[in-house]
Amino acid sequence: MSRKLTVVLLAMLVLVGAMSLKTVVVTHGDGSVIMANGGAPLPPTPWKNGGAPLPPTPWKNGGAPLPPTPWK
Amino acid sequence: MPGPFQYCVWFLCTLLEVSVVVCSLAKGSFRRYLSLNVYMLAACFVNLARFKILFTYGFKSSEYGYFYYYSDLLLTIGLYCALMGLYSYVFEEMGAEQYVRLGALLLLLGTAGFSFAIVQQSSSRMGHFVLDSRVMGHLVLEASQNLYFVGLVLTYVLWGAMLKLRETRTRLIQLVLALGLYFSVFAASYALRNLSTGLSDLWPYLIPVSGCLLPMAWAYAFWRIPEEARIAPSRLAVVPR
Repeated sequence: MSRKLTVVLLAMLVLVGAMSLKTVVVTHGDGSVIMANGGAPLPPTPWKNGGAPLPPTPWKNGGAPLPPTPWK
Repeated sequence: MPGPFQYCVWFLCTLLEVSVVVCSLAKGSFRRYLSLNVYMLAACFVNLARFKILFTYGFKSSEYGYFYYYSDLLLTIGLYCALMGLYSYVFEEMGAEQYVRLGALLLLLGTAGFSFAIVQQSSSRMGHFVLDSRVMGHLVLEASQNLYFVGLVLTYVLWGAMLKLRETRTRLIQLVLALGLYFSVFAASYALRNLSTGLSDLWPYLIPVSGCLLPMAWAYAFWRIPEEARIAPSRLAVVPR
């Protein structure tokens, strides 16, 4: 049982390490693909509709600074 | 649109993938390294299918885009299985196959869950979360990239274990190191590209050329290094005496 738990722990550690590494590598990235299998030319991602820049999130009304939370 | 250089590299990469399987068959190692050979065979077929779709629908078509990214996820899972095959060879004398399988399955499920959580959060931020083709596409790409990073970390863990266990099988060492180099080149070049804007023009050329590294190194390992070849462990580790 303890061996299986060790395997679970190692798997979780690897997952955390891999995601941390990804965060480090792709910080300030433009969202393009990092790795691709084979030598085929990389197509543009079809689910990105157009190349227009992302609009500001609509629920941030205006550019006013955020007030402190009243329940603190 | 891809130019003659990209087509040449693509053709070369496919040839190298075929040569891995041919070399492995010629040296009688196909069944011994079944997961690696199946991955290379699958990569050949996917390349042929991509070529057909590219010429039928065009480079900027959604057909080619969707097929490319969906097949890329399948190939990344194949590469992950190949890596797990290498784990099994390294730990076969310890009888730890069931633990390797358990760990591999857990990691695969964990990566899938993590990718889904990222996509769900990012889609919910944009509005109502619906699992449509756009979100599915994003999920496929995210899972593929996350699995790639898991593979990268696992390769380094395997290399550490091989050094610790004083692995002497030269061919196995060559196969694992080639995989480590392949994963590392992509991560390093991506990070460098983000640091230096001058590298962004090189990027469309660098990715396909990097894709040739793995089949080239594996073909070399199967063709030139016999299964019985051994290397002294002291030559692998640089330790102060």
